[in-house]
Amino acid sequence: MLAYTVRRILVSIPVLIASTFIVFLVVVNAGDPVANFATSRQPRPSPAAIQAFARHIHANEPAVQRYWNWITGVLHGDWGPSVQPNLDIGHDLFTRFRVTLTLVAAAMLIALVLAVVFGVFSAIRQYTAADYTITFFGFLFLAMPVFWFAVLLKQAGIWFNEQTGSQFLGTIGEKSPYLEVDTTWNEFTDRIGHLALPTITLALVSFASWTRYTRASMLEVLNSDYVRLARAKGLRRRTVMVRHALRTALIPLATVTALDIAIILGGAVITETIFQWHGMGEMLVESAATVDVYRTMAWLLLSAVVVIGFNLIADLLYAVLDPRIRYD
Amino acid sequence: MTDTEAAGSAGTQLPPTEHEFTITQRTQTQLVLRRFLRHRAAMVSLVVFVLILLWAFIGPHLWHYSYQKYTPDNSQAPSWKHPFGTNASGYDAYAQVMRGTQTSLKIAILIALGSTLLGAVWGAVAGFYRGFVDSTMMRIADLVLTLPLFAIALVISSRSGGSWYWIAAVIAGLTWAYVARVVRATVLSLREKEFVEAAKALGASDARIIFRHLLPNSLGPIIVNATVLVATGILTETALSFVGFGVQPPDTSLGLLVSQAQTAVDTRPWLFYIPGAFIIAIALTINFIGDGLRDAFDPRQQRVRQ
Amino acid sequence: MRAQSSALTRGLALAAGLGLALAACSSGGGGGSSGKGSSAGLSSCNTQGKANTCNSAPTKSGGTFTYVLEKNIQQWNVQDTNGNTFENAEALEVVLPQVFVPLPDFTVALNKDLVTSAAQTSSSPQTLVYKINPKAAWNDGTPITADDFIYYWRTNDGKDCPPPPASDSTQTKGCLPQSTAGYDRIKSVTGSDGGRTVTVVMAKPFSDWKQLFGAGYPLYPAHIAEKLSGAKVGDAAHMTAAQMTQGWQYFQKNPPTKYATAGPYKMTQWADNDHATFEPDPKWWGATKPSLQRLIFKVISDATQEPIALRNNEVQAIYPQPEVDLVNQVKSIPNVTYNIGNGLQWEHFDLNLHNPVLGKYTALRQAMFTAISIKDIMSKTVQQFDPSVKPLGSHNYVPGQAGYQDLVTATGQGSGDLTKAKKYLTDAKFTGVGSALKTPDGKAVGPFNCRYTTGNQIRQSECQILQSDLANLGVKVTIKPIGAADLGTVLAGHQYDIIVFAWVASPFPTANAQQNWVTGGGGNYGGYSDKTVDQLIAQAVGTTDQTQAAALLNKADKIMVNAAYVLPLYQKPTFLAVQTRFVNMRNNSTNVGPPYNTAEWGLKK
Repeated sequence: MLAYTVRRILVSIPVLIASTFIVFLVVVNAGDPVANFATSRQPRPSPAAIQAFARHIHANEPAVQRYWNWITGVLHGDWGPSVQPNLDIGHDLFTRFRVTLTLVAAAMLIALVLAVVFGVFSAIRQYTAADYTITFFGFLFLAMPVFWFAVLLKQAGIWFNEQTGSQFLGTIGEKSPYLEVDTTWNEFTDRIGHLALPTITLALVSFASWTRYTRASMLEVLNSDYVRLARAKGLRRRTVMVRHALRTALIPLATVTALDIAIILGGAVITETIFQWHGMGEMLVESAATVDVYRTMAWLLLSAVVVIGFNLIADLLYAVLDPRIRYD
Repeated sequence: MTDTEAAGSAGTQLPPTEHEFTITQRTQTQLVLRRFLRHRAAMVSLVVFVLILLWAFIGPHLWHYSYQKYTPDNSQAPSWKHPFGTNASGYDAYAQVMRGTQTSLKIAILIALGSTLLGAVWGAVAGFYRGFVDSTMMRIADLVLTLPLFAIALVISSRSGGSWYWIAAVIAGLTWAYVARVVRATVLSLREKEFVEAAKALGASDARIIFRHLLPNSLGPIIVNATVLVATGILTETALSFVGFGVQPPDTSLGLLVSQAQTAVDTRPWLFYIPGAFIIAIALTINFIGDGLRDAFDPRQQRVRQ
Repeated sequence: MRAQSSALTRGLALAAGLGLALAACSSGGGGGSSGKGSSAGLSSCNTQGKANTCNSAPTKSGGTFTYVLEKNIQQWNVQDTNGNTFENAEALEVVLPQVFVPLPDFTVALNKDLVTSAAQTSSSPQTLVYKINPKAAWNDGTPITADDFIYYWRTNDGKDCPPPPASDSTQTKGCLPQSTAGYDRIKSVTGSDGGRTVTVVMAKPFSDWKQLFGAGYPLYPAHIAEKLSGAKVGDAAHMTAAQMTQGWQYFQKNPPTKYATAGPYKMTQWADNDHATFEPDPKWWGATKPSLQRLIFKVISDATQEPIALRNNEVQAIYPQPEVDLVNQVKSIPNVTYNIGNGLQWEHFDLNLHNPVLGKYTALRQAMFTAISIKDIMSKTVQQFDPSVKPLGSHNYVPGQAGYQDLVTATGQGSGDLTKAKKYLTDAKFTGVGSALKTPDGKAVGPFNCRYTTGNQIRQSECQILQSDLANLGVKVTIKPIGAADLGTVLAGHQYDIIVFAWVASPFPTANAQQNWVTGGGGNYGGYSDKTVDQLIAQAVGTTDQTQAAALLNKADKIMVNAAYVLPLYQKPTFLAVQTRFVNMRNNSTNVGPPYNTAEWGLKK
């Protein structure tokens, strides 16, 4: 196992380099940030300013050289210049990562708990009205575009605020810029209020797909011989469910969860834009739209490490949880 | 005596020795089809989906407004003249939704086809050979998984003018890696089965085993996955249009229509809800069809005795 | 199986009901809307003469007011090319002083809190005398003196603090002012009366002198720059380039929370990409004392989220680009007043004169512009939320500015008059008019492309209407959107035949005219060149008389209209929405925006 892990990590390094190099070439050819700079301000920047800008972002150097300088720079903490003035890419990256992590962790936790509960319930009560309703809503949530739902959710949030006469639910940002009465409790409720709507939005799709997955997996386990044996032995239903069926059923879910989380961490773009959480997703869209090469690369590096890492975790989890699988 | 007996029961009884009792043999495909046809929700969804498909592709030829020409009626609510209303510039929303559905379906189906083809072959080859080949191929798949959709889609959509096949190609080019993982897992378990050993013993080449034995037996998860890809394809295209990297005007897609109308939720709701309803309808029906297919391919999940 | 399908239908009905319920709940009660373009408190703002005084009322102390910034502030030196953004100007004008302030009616007013008088005492050489208010001081006690003016001039004239040299890849070893216009014409700036009187002598006359030391670009504290760079405090006249660069860089990197400021509020907190917090400055000496307990500028980068935030009372005022749904959403919010004002931005079609056919035949261009119907364009775009919008008739001024003259309508351009347009072509011996247009030499005209920035529905419609209008002449037009990242390349490389975007007019139009219409100007993307126009504009920049400058610009404009290079479409409206419990906010469409008078803002008494 250890050898396998080490090997996978070592192999990840060329993968990372290849990935960053490909994207570097793509973004460098995506547009001309110098021309954008020259036409973006009113009054137009002077020729001296334009040249200074071009030098600053290494626009006139050959791509391979720029890539080499970037990667050697990253190794000692220099993330390169951004198109935006004054921006410390590294600091910005990790701040935004923290924001996205908060959002994703909360959402995934809720999605996971709810998915297990509803999935198991649905499997046990297969083909009853409850099962059909859960199935239907699962499919419905899977079928809804995220921002379509987010827009409606915001309206519902405001309606809720108006009905309760409070300002509990916030629609923009992580927290309010100021609190009239600044106590720890108020700070806590303020954070929760701002976390509620985006978390529901983000959790929704994962919840729907994980519920289906849990249900299918649970059904397969409930039909298996050893569960039938356990019941035949006369064990109580609760014991059978939890100790035997559930634990086996959750194995594939664990790996799917790991993969999905990696995907979402890479860019909960829509949720972040609609609720104005300044996280990784917003960073990618901004840097792609402004052809900010070094900022896109910073995003990519962190995101790629996360994806590769979680893929490895998923594969390892699978081996750990299912004793039939062996890696050599 | 025999004549009397035979005369007395003409046509109702055959001599036992001449009667051979057989049943019609059903092929695998027929079995799957029968199980699918019995799944009520999937059948209804299939009918609805086919209707939407026909409406989207044939409808524009029968409708007198074009999605590209504006009319003098600006921002009108649905009426007999404009069943889905019009938008701010006077475009007939009915024509636009038809066109949008057409484009979204084309994109989604192309994504599903391309992604499944490439991913299935990739995953099957990797799973079959194992060892170094498997490792390399899956690391390449890992590499593809790290590439950011939004950044690449931005570049492609601005260079290509947002034509739908490029958008589909980009999304397919990034999603095949998931299909490959799934197919590889299936093939890994299948390759230990006896029929593969038998084929090898008979001298079948590697390609033959992969394409004639392994892939057809993995068809279940592959097809189910493909249907899911159609649904996620539409939703991904919607997400891209929301940030502006998807289909570009003057062409339109359901995702573009909904994202253009996101501020109109309260004020001109027909522009927001109708395309959204179509996205949901298509994704929903596809999901049900996929569910039906999954049940059809794998009938082990029957009613559990309590 | 039957149970399955009935549960399906029940589920569908439930979902439909849920959707409808959400929709019904979301549309709230009616708002206080009255009048065509505004409501309640801001309703009189569009009346002639009331723009500077509408929504006025006495205030009581207290209250927290949150205003929206639409972009993050990345760099804090608004005088710098990179820091020259609208949001930066909005935030800094709350805490830094400026001489002349642009008002909502596009005039400029003297800021008596900083300067009790500012006058041109002689016109040759042009001499300006400013008398600084004796009470004016930075909030660390240092008085505001001529030294601050001298520092401002020397860092902005492009000579005393030159741009970074070619060897500097960090872009930090020099000053890059957003414009040296005016400052590069100053001969000397001297202080007298203990620094309370500032005398500016110009080497060459500059007609827009009221733009200097203000108009959206306020003064920075010179003594801060002097202290940190090791120069002699109070002696900006002898600072070296390196020292001035240090000061310049310092103001770039540091928000005003870190140094002494001079405004009704001081900035107490800056959370990057999130919000700025201001609190009343006890050292403020001005006529109007701030009444708010706290002022917050919150960054919301997606305009579609702003009405919802306003409705949820997370912000109290928004200033987004208006579009029909946004305006209607705000109209339905109770206790909110709004104003649709006429902005300084104006939309236009540009022709690329580098294109051989377009560049050669004036008659073709005149015909094309005459065939376009601006009325159609407006009815499908801005008139949907602002029925009072009219076509724009000038390249340099907008209605409301003193120099405005409608020079376009009389020529028939923008009228959609097809007969007149065709006459231009037949007179110039074009063939195939109305079917497949050909030049007198027999070359085919077009197809031309009409380009606009992608994602902009209004501009998409404008191109489509142009396409359909020009088809009537026999000219084929294809529509080719520009990718989000490519506008700069397209403009700078003139990779278009027809393009639609917006310019920003200014209370000081001569500098803009020089950039946009003069041969080789930085904003002259289509390659327009006319010697007479060049001369007239140069004269206009150099004259000291505003009315004469206007006359010269309009004379040049007449020639430009005839050349049919740029067709002005309409003045883009601006949109301000404020909760009614707060007063004294006004829609100011100039480059300073609504925060030009934050000292007056407060809770209604």
